[in-house]
Amino acid sequence: MKKVSLVLTILLMAFSLYAQNIAVRGTVTDASTGEPVAFASVTVKGQMSGTSTGLDGTYALNVPSNAILVVSFVGYKTQEIAVNGRNVVDCVLAPDAEILDDVIVVGYGTTRREAKTGAVSTVKADEIQAVPASSVDKMLAGKMAGVTISSESGQPGSNSQIRIRGTSSINAGNEPLWVVDGIPVMSGDQSYFTNTNNAIAAINPNDIESLTVLKDAAAASIYGSRAANGVILVTTKSGKAGKASFSARAKYGVSMMANDNHFRMMTGPELYDFYKTAYANAGRDINNYYDPNTPNLPMTNWIEEVTRLGRLQEYEVNAQAGNDRGRFYTSFSYQDNQGVSYATSYNRLTGRVNSDYKLTRTLEVGTRVNIAYTENHDTEMQSLYYSNPFFGGLIIRPWTPVFDPETGEYNQKIPENSNTNPLWNALCHGEDQWEKQFRTQAGMYLQWEPIQGLVFKTNNMFEGTFGKGIRYWGPDPGDTEGVLQGSRSQYVQITTSNTATYSRMFGDHSLRVMLGQEAMKRTYESLYGYAPSVDANIPYFSTSIDSESSISDSYNARTLLSFFGNVDYNYANRYFVAASIREDGSSLFGSQNKWGTFWSASASWNITSEEWMQNTSDWLSLLKLRASYGVNGNNNISPYSAYGVYASTAYNGGNGMRPSSPANDLLSWELNKTWNVGLDFAFFNNRLSGQLDVYTRNTTDMLLNKQVPQTSGFSSNFMNIGSMNNKGIEFQLEGDLIRTNDLVWTAGFNIAYNKSTVLDLGDDEWMSSSYDSRLRHAVGKNFYMFYLKDYYGVDPTNGDALFRAADPEHPDDENYWVLTNNYSQARYIYAGSPEPKFTGGFNTSLNWKGLELSVFTEFKTHNYVYIYEWRYLNADGNQMTMNQMASALNYWKQPGDTGCNPKPVAGNASSGMMNSTRWLKRGDYFRIKDVTLAYNFPQSLLKKINMKGAKLYVSALNPYTFHDVYWWDPERGMEGMGWGIYPQTKTIAGGIEITF
Amino acid sequence: MKKYIIALFAILSLTASCNVKEFLTEDPVMSQSTELTLSDYNGLNKAIAGAYSPLAGSGWYGAFFVLDAEMRAGNAMIPINTNFQSGRMQTPYTMNYNPDATSGLWGTAYYVISACNNVINAIDTNAEGLVTSSHPASDLNNLKAEALALRAFAHFDLLRLYCHLDGSNGDFGVCVITEPQLPTDMPARATVEESYAQIIKDLTDAESLMADSYQRGSVADPKATFNKLAIQALLARVYCYHKDWGKASEYASKVINSGKFKLWTAEEYPSVWGKEIAGDGGEVIFEVYGKQTNSYDAWWEGPSHMTNPLGYADCAASAQLTELFEDGDVRGTTGVRGDASDPRDDGKVMFCTDQDEVSGGQLWTMKYYGKGDGNATSTPDFNNTIVLRLSEMYLIRAEAGVNGAGSTALADLNAIRANRGASALSSAGKADVALERRLELNFEGHLWFDLNRTGGSISYSDANITRNIPAGDKLWALPIPKAQVDINENLVQNPGY
Repeated sequence: MKKVSLVLTILLMAFSLYAQNIAVRGTVTDASTGEPVAFASVTVKGQMSGTSTGLDGTYALNVPSNAILVVSFVGYKTQEIAVNGRNVVDCVLAPDAEILDDVIVVGYGTTRREAKTGAVSTVKADEIQAVPASSVDKMLAGKMAGVTISSESGQPGSNSQIRIRGTSSINAGNEPLWVVDGIPVMSGDQSYFTNTNNAIAAINPNDIESLTVLKDAAAASIYGSRAANGVILVTTKSGKAGKASFSARAKYGVSMMANDNHFRMMTGPELYDFYKTAYANAGRDINNYYDPNTPNLPMTNWIEEVTRLGRLQEYEVNAQAGNDRGRFYTSFSYQDNQGVSYATSYNRLTGRVNSDYKLTRTLEVGTRVNIAYTENHDTEMQSLYYSNPFFGGLIIRPWTPVFDPETGEYNQKIPENSNTNPLWNALCHGEDQWEKQFRTQAGMYLQWEPIQGLVFKTNNMFEGTFGKGIRYWGPDPGDTEGVLQGSRSQYVQITTSNTATYSRMFGDHSLRVMLGQEAMKRTYESLYGYAPSVDANIPYFSTSIDSESSISDSYNARTLLSFFGNVDYNYANRYFVAASIREDGSSLFGSQNKWGTFWSASASWNITSEEWMQNTSDWLSLLKLRASYGVNGNNNISPYSAYGVYASTAYNGGNGMRPSSPANDLLSWELNKTWNVGLDFAFFNNRLSGQLDVYTRNTTDMLLNKQVPQTSGFSSNFMNIGSMNNKGIEFQLEGDLIRTNDLVWTAGFNIAYNKSTVLDLGDDEWMSSSYDSRLRHAVGKNFYMFYLKDYYGVDPTNGDALFRAADPEHPDDENYWVLTNNYSQARYIYAGSPEPKFTGGFNTSLNWKGLELSVFTEFKTHNYVYIYEWRYLNADGNQMTMNQMASALNYWKQPGDTGCNPKPVAGNASSGMMNSTRWLKRGDYFRIKDVTLAYNFPQSLLKKINMKGAKLYVSALNPYTFHDVYWWDPERGMEGMGWGIYPQTKTIAGGIEITF
Repeated sequence: MKKYIIALFAILSLTASCNVKEFLTEDPVMSQSTELTLSDYNGLNKAIAGAYSPLAGSGWYGAFFVLDAEMRAGNAMIPINTNFQSGRMQTPYTMNYNPDATSGLWGTAYYVISACNNVINAIDTNAEGLVTSSHPASDLNNLKAEALALRAFAHFDLLRLYCHLDGSNGDFGVCVITEPQLPTDMPARATVEESYAQIIKDLTDAESLMADSYQRGSVADPKATFNKLAIQALLARVYCYHKDWGKASEYASKVINSGKFKLWTAEEYPSVWGKEIAGDGGEVIFEVYGKQTNSYDAWWEGPSHMTNPLGYADCAASAQLTELFEDGDVRGTTGVRGDASDPRDDGKVMFCTDQDEVSGGQLWTMKYYGKGDGNATSTPDFNNTIVLRLSEMYLIRAEAGVNGAGSTALADLNAIRANRGASALSSAGKADVALERRLELNFEGHLWFDLNRTGGSISYSDANITRNIPAGDKLWALPIPKAQVDINENLVQNPGY
């Protein structure tokens, strides 16, 4: 640390140069439009002095009479003009088509696309604006090679699981680091009672200017400590100089259950016939159980009853303006998203102010403030609760009415669903489950550029989530008291990030050096209250019985301190090298191993810049080879894992203390070591461009519970052992297929292959996944493997369920097996992985005279999903009170039938429906993710009514999915499981956007 | 302006660098760090109070250490009627012990030992620093004595379970652990003799450190903690196992002559079992407190549910045992077990059938008639497990006597028999002592270990099982759990497994 401050001080004192000579002024204009160029930089070659142009494109400067002025601005070719004693020097800048839009945000700065040496993907604002999704992460699916977005829930406001280049850790987390406007922020699920609640959803997607994903070590390692799973950089909009504008948007849409594979439950007559067969197969008569008139009763389609058309509305106003001193962007938005099941909704209000102001010629300040208020309501899902519409709604028999025919009230006699009417629960029971949160991100930066090329920046942010949650169960019919649980939670993160950057060109040499320091502290506090009997009329803690109620709280804190630096150098835009190093200390680790060193080195070679490539430039616009290696860390473990802790233990009528976890003084960072080799290419004047990346990513020092001798007092100790590998290939291609004045057609395609392999788990050959014991991590296999009993199929002779059992003669050889109808003898096998082999997407957009059609698609292949619900919905007669799914009708009917379900037998005890590979299916899908049709009104028309822009659009999210799973939708999260989940939905929305 | 900016950056850098170590230290506040726990008397005191808690776990005195031993020794059996098989206790019944199917006491006992070592080490390394005006050195001595006694107790149960007590089969004792361990420490096994030496040293140290009057406070059951008499009673047992007959007799006499205990009468005998707290005035010297509210083993159901014909019903009494009693001996009385309202259940018998006769006349011990809410099938709320009691002290002194130390053997045996309604013996030999131990201490986890320490054998067969375990057989020492041998390269498995 002392070294860093010393360097800072020396740098500060080294520069205090002044020039004194003649006064020069002039105007900088755009060569194509003749309009003035504001904020162009005007400097004296070889000196540190300079200025920038005002809104009208003018500048004034004192320079030596023989000076050479360097005039530059993003998107234009830089010009050098000799002053030659003149007092007026005008400059006409020519737009540079090649580098326009090619500045990308990277760690602690920006870079030109051609200068990058690491693996980076970007998404621009216009690709995500129209999509009717509630948060930006939902819009990324299929857009970037190697970035997989998955979700266990289609609920509005739900959290996503994001994997960049596979899954790398068992205990230290797999989510990428989110960095918003230069500051790492909190992400993930921050709900207390609700099924899901996405922290990133607090950012209004329309506020986002660009989003960059740093995939390999070279790109990410400047965020060293937490970069193991990649980094997502979000830059929010700031005002643009000279273009004051005010926009308003409105969006309205409806959503519905996606069901492109025509999943349905049995109708009443089908179910009655099914039961009849099942009873007959058990030697029983259905007339002893059901009135023969049952199939003629009025029928109810329960899943239709418990779901509805969802509704989405979104309104937003934003404004931006700027001049030569200051710029601002501000927005206010409201979203109301009613889910497809009752009592499920997500509401969000956001307000943002982004401002930038030049205090002096060298000093700039800015703020980034975002405040969001969210309200999330849902009912208990994610498990097979009777009140869960996505389970109860399936199992209730069609002849069971919603309303009691005699009283007209909600029917409570539903024995097949434990007398729970999900609709009554959602609408009348007073059952309530919600989370209300304030989320604040407030930051300010101060940037000082004492001389051109040297920038000191301090960026400080406060981030807080303040939440309140309730879970209330109203009284059952006849009772008067309900059960109330409540929470208050608070996440607070404070970050300071301070950097000094110096960049300079010396002839053909270009150098950028950055030094920085960062510190972060995050705390979590919560308070939980429980009252088992509160007055149903006043369902608050105030009416609870004191002796029954309880309260508890929790607190944890973590800190991170970092010092980092990086160097970029290139020679003649041909050879690029970059290196970075970062030292991170984390409070989460053992006292002896708090610090980790992370680093990367990378290089690239722009082959097309070589002289000898000149003759191919007519067709080959870019060919660049990149290579990088780096080491990143992962510290996403629960606080205090390094501490030896005693816990309270009740014994002998009192409370003693006993050791609950061992001290781990050596606990340290989990490491990711990544090699990446990439090729960037572009043909035909950049009309066709793409990139190819090959990587291998080794996770070492994995944080695992290692078995230790019990003579130490503990059976296991959380330690850095174990290793695994992800390797893969990514390919991305983009093309301007047609580009004329009236018609522009572009298309893109990306595909990524990833394979994970567990290499070492310490002393263990396998361990159960903490997610579910049906998933295992096993040495030599994929990260996640389903470990299930081996289902064979139906016995064609008698309709029994058959399983494979180990062959007694070759008990250890998987290739040998014998068949058995005895479930308990069935063998376990590693049956497949929920990880996709190939992921990717295809997109295209067509723009014709202001009419724009864009289509994004997404696919995953070779991933398995486990549909646990089928155990109840296709139960071979084991569930004689639940409705069954229509595909259960395809059962064994006569000797010789194969490829169908076992024959139903009432009260079936053959265990054919128990956990086995029978319920494991390939979850491949090809999803048309979003389709947007937009019309931009022509400028000629708008000018007459004093408008700058007007846009009408319709957009569809998830309009169609091709898949082969007999369920509403095949998506089940990274683990391919989940049960009773809120499925993915389709949304169709229309909107208007006008700008003045 | 420039000056201010320089100052600002300087301040920022200085602030950040002021105390890196402090910034990166976040101590847990909702739980208590090991260091904090062991830093004062109150913490150490609570650490000892908590160190007793695993004794009530289901693998130890919470059921299986005791009942499995009875099953192995043939006092117990899995009931014949298949309706009663829950699948528990198959291994001790069939004796199919192997390193993958063995007792888990290894982990539990060393857990207690490590908890004791933490306290002993804290006191030894900071003896003066811990003394305060309200907690003088004597308080710390008492604490340390408790820790030493508990450490010896845990080592002793490990020794009895996993080792050939006669030193046969390679002379493998336990891992003697007397210091806090690192996870990388790979201790080897001591010899049997070395194991005994450490156990005896810990107990005699504890005896001399502890004040005569010391009794742990703030507990529901004082007898579930070590006081000086409990330490002496345990020493009597250890000396007896070690065949140090003079010491065994001396320490048994210390307890017998203390005047704090009195033999139960035949009248009292059936009603002293299955309590929450034994209380004063009876035989109990040391016991384990079994109650639902204990937090160590959240699934605790105690030995009660296992020996309840309407509970889990895993562990019935064998005919080999129940046929040993002479008429009039209260220890062999039989009857019917019912719920509170059943007049046939007078609570006055030691073996019972169930009220519905679903187990076909099978008898069950009543020593763990744990109390639930009055319903015979309900999960018991509490059930103490008696570990050391006065009769055992008489039996130890008698055994010392027949081995040449002291002359009270016959009187000691008859003192017990007179209080059980059994006829007086006219002479006392080794076999008489062994039989009396079995009659008196059945279902309290003694017979198996008695046979181990005396080089006995088991040979019998009945309708269900044939058991033949000669002296010196590998089965007298249970296998150490496989994972432990795999992890610790210095840990040698018992021969034969």
